[in-house]
Amino acid sequence: MALLDVENLEISIRFGHELLPVVRGVSFSVDENETLGIVGESGCGKSLTALAIMGLLEGSGVRVTGGRMRFGGRDLLAMSADERRHIMGNDMAMIFQEPMTSLNPVYRVGDQIIEALQQHRNLSRRAARRRAIELLDLVRIPEPDSRVDSFPHQLSGGQRQRVMIAMALSCDPKLLIADEPTTALDVTVQKEVLDLMLDLQKRTGTAIILISHDLGVIAETCNSVAVMYWGRLVETAPTDALFETLAHPYTRGLLHSIPAIDRDVDWLDAIPGRVPTIGEQIAGCPFHPRCPRAESRCRHEVPQPREIAPGHLVECHFPYGGDR
Amino acid sequence: MLFYTIKRLLALIPTLLAATMLVFLFVHLIPGDPASILLGDTATPEEVAALTRELGLDEPLWTQYLIWLGNVLQGDLGTSVFFGTPVLTVIADGAETSILLATMTMVWIVLFGVPIGIVSAMNKGRWIDQITSGGAMLFASIPTFWLGLYLILLFAVGLGWLPSSGFPSLTDTGGVTNLRYLILPSLTLAAPNAALIIRLVRASMLDVSREDHVRTARAKGLRPSRVAIRHIFRNALISVTAAFGFTFAALVSEAVVTETVFSLPGIGRLVVQSILRRDYPVIQGVILVIVVLYMFINLLVDLAYARLDPRISLK
Amino acid sequence: MMAVASIRSVFAGRTFAQIGLVWLAFVALAAIFSPLIAPFDPYEIDPIARLTEPGWPHLFGTDHFGRDSFSRALYGARMTVLIGLGAVIVALLTGGLVGMLSAYFTRLGHVLMRGVDVLMAFPALLMALVLMTLLERSVMNTIIVIGVVYATTTARILFGMTLKLKGEVFVDAAVCSGAGHASILFRHILPNLVSPLLVQASFIFAFAQLQAAALDFLGLGLPPEVPSWGNMLSEERIYVTRAPWLLIFPGALIILSVFSMNLVGDAMRDSIDPRFKDDIAGV
Repeated sequence: MALLDVENLEISIRFGHELLPVVRGVSFSVDENETLGIVGESGCGKSLTALAIMGLLEGSGVRVTGGRMRFGGRDLLAMSADERRHIMGNDMAMIFQEPMTSLNPVYRVGDQIIEALQQHRNLSRRAARRRAIELLDLVRIPEPDSRVDSFPHQLSGGQRQRVMIAMALSCDPKLLIADEPTTALDVTVQKEVLDLMLDLQKRTGTAIILISHDLGVIAETCNSVAVMYWGRLVETAPTDALFETLAHPYTRGLLHSIPAIDRDVDWLDAIPGRVPTIGEQIAGCPFHPRCPRAESRCRHEVPQPREIAPGHLVECHFPYGGDR
Repeated sequence: MLFYTIKRLLALIPTLLAATMLVFLFVHLIPGDPASILLGDTATPEEVAALTRELGLDEPLWTQYLIWLGNVLQGDLGTSVFFGTPVLTVIADGAETSILLATMTMVWIVLFGVPIGIVSAMNKGRWIDQITSGGAMLFASIPTFWLGLYLILLFAVGLGWLPSSGFPSLTDTGGVTNLRYLILPSLTLAAPNAALIIRLVRASMLDVSREDHVRTARAKGLRPSRVAIRHIFRNALISVTAAFGFTFAALVSEAVVTETVFSLPGIGRLVVQSILRRDYPVIQGVILVIVVLYMFINLLVDLAYARLDPRISLK
Repeated sequence: MMAVASIRSVFAGRTFAQIGLVWLAFVALAAIFSPLIAPFDPYEIDPIARLTEPGWPHLFGTDHFGRDSFSRALYGARMTVLIGLGAVIVALLTGGLVGMLSAYFTRLGHVLMRGVDVLMAFPALLMALVLMTLLERSVMNTIIVIGVVYATTTARILFGMTLKLKGEVFVDAAVCSGAGHASILFRHILPNLVSPLLVQASFIFAFAQLQAAALDFLGLGLPPEVPSWGNMLSEERIYVTRAPWLLIFPGALIILSVFSMNLVGDAMRDSIDPRFKDDIAGV
């Protein structure tokens, strides 16, 4: 059994008296030493999925309305709020997109790490501080002895994201969820932060879920990839297999919308059309209005996931590389 | 911090000067001859002539202001027409009551306003929030003197638990127990202000709770109460502190009504009585004291701000 | 019809604010038709009928002059509306204009807003008291004084909101199309401020009632014979034990009206442009 098993996850948003599903039928699993990438355009439900796994949806009007999530063999959805909190920040930790605003501006960064440590570990304040300095050193913040007493506004964006990573790693989590951890950072800093995360994974064996809209980042860092479109997983595969086949037309569109220096392209293929809004009704395959390969079957019948190669699932009637 | 304090203090000077000018002009806006106004109806022509010379009232307005300001800086605020004693002494006599009343009121405001505001914010939209926010708005809609009268009726006349009026000094017989005279007045004065603080604490906490760092705090697995107090309230405190300052500064003048209802010998009632007695030197003196106090409390608020929010540079 | 629709959407699902609105409508009707509804002359003294308990024909009883409290309360609604609207108009005309002009003409604003800062150093009630010492007790003066007191906060608020709008693209567009200053200020900026101004007006209306009542109580507001709810309370307060109804009715009327206005303001505030929400200081 994998460390995290997500099965048929459904997340809905409350809209007046109605519950509108925004994430449907999402299934995947991650194991130790693995990195799973979840990719998709903004608004496709990837962040909601991450928050649902963490247990941070509460109070936002959005909630899990179906499916199962097992973490270390235990059913996350059956747990009480207290049990969930015991896992949160301890066995499971999360890094957010906005390093500039994700730290509390009124507390020193060291104290914020210490708070995370003392929440789950029975450490004296002095020991926790020592550990906080170690962690800052681990995430390669220069002069951790003095930086531990800095306020967030005294650090750069990259340094703040490193602090977030240090905080997330403070209790040696088994699973680290990183939601667009590098999007807000400069390109050079992006690479450093990603390398840091992978390097730490090598040492600790932490499983990582990396959420990004950038297929390039995913390709470089992940063992397997899940492509999300309008709240559904349209393609799931080991990274190599995914990039070899690019079976789903949407995956292909995503890749082609990135300009690449090492590839000769005459034009940028942006995907035509737009992501449907929440609550919009689309008959058949949700991607068909934007799909170059759509046929009449796509307009009437919702495609079910099917395995076109071992571990390679696609939700499409006419995937590339499949028989037409 | 010292440098910052000095800088803020210097920045206060122009406003302070302008405000004192307005206070000075007050006597000149009253129809009639300033010297006669300051001396009252019973003054002899000789006295009027003497004061005219002393305050330079036949000099240009500008010179008069400087003479007046010089006197004020030496602690000479003039002489009360009614009491015949220096204005500063008259004000000092009311200071004990006013300061104690304001302090006690502030204690109620913090004691009721903050916890209720926090509970209200933490339960946003539930019945407990609707009752507290609605109740707070209701309390902010009650005229203070009406509330005061009914508190007297209930606790002093009806139940006989507390005295209904007056306030003997703490140095009189009774000592500290004399503070019981201030319980009803301070509750009366606290009610509308606590109501405003409740709504403000709630609103600023709801603002902060939408910020990203609160999600980070929750992601650490902290208990909701800890997230609410250590993270949300601590950040909301920055704007709430400003309100505490303004409230405290305004209490001395808002106490006018309360002190009248409870016949307390404070500065507030002094203002009203002086207005009715046409004791202009005292009115002018009290305005000056209250305005200066108001500004300095606002300065303290600024300094508190700087301590609460590390992002404000002290340089 | 559009106005009706937007009023509906603002108050939808807000039962208390709806009740508040209905109550305010009652007050307005009472104010308009008080001479028609009032069963007695509110000034008519009847020494024999002093301190009559509520009943028939004196619904709210009579005061210590034997005047009919119900009729006085009806005429009091007039004072309530008059003082509320008057204070709103004075505050918006003076403070609003200062705030808008200050934000629009930066150099002028520098001077004017410093002046506003100085006036803000005078706590509201103190300022009202001081101004009242300089003026005669009259309805007009009470309105002016209360309006002026709230003019400073109004100036601050409009300064902030105008400044935000000044940076908007549509203002630049108007400038580019050659619109004059007056046209930009009043035809392009002002219409965007109408709904936040309505919210601010409702809070001024509410606060003005409490200030007016406080001034009446201190004997520095309306002339004592004028039938206002504040005067009714102030005049009869010594009879609180003998004739409690004399304080219950006018007190309840003030509380209900101020509370209603606050509820209405609060409901409207939730529906305005979120950019301006923090600018408006209400309850």
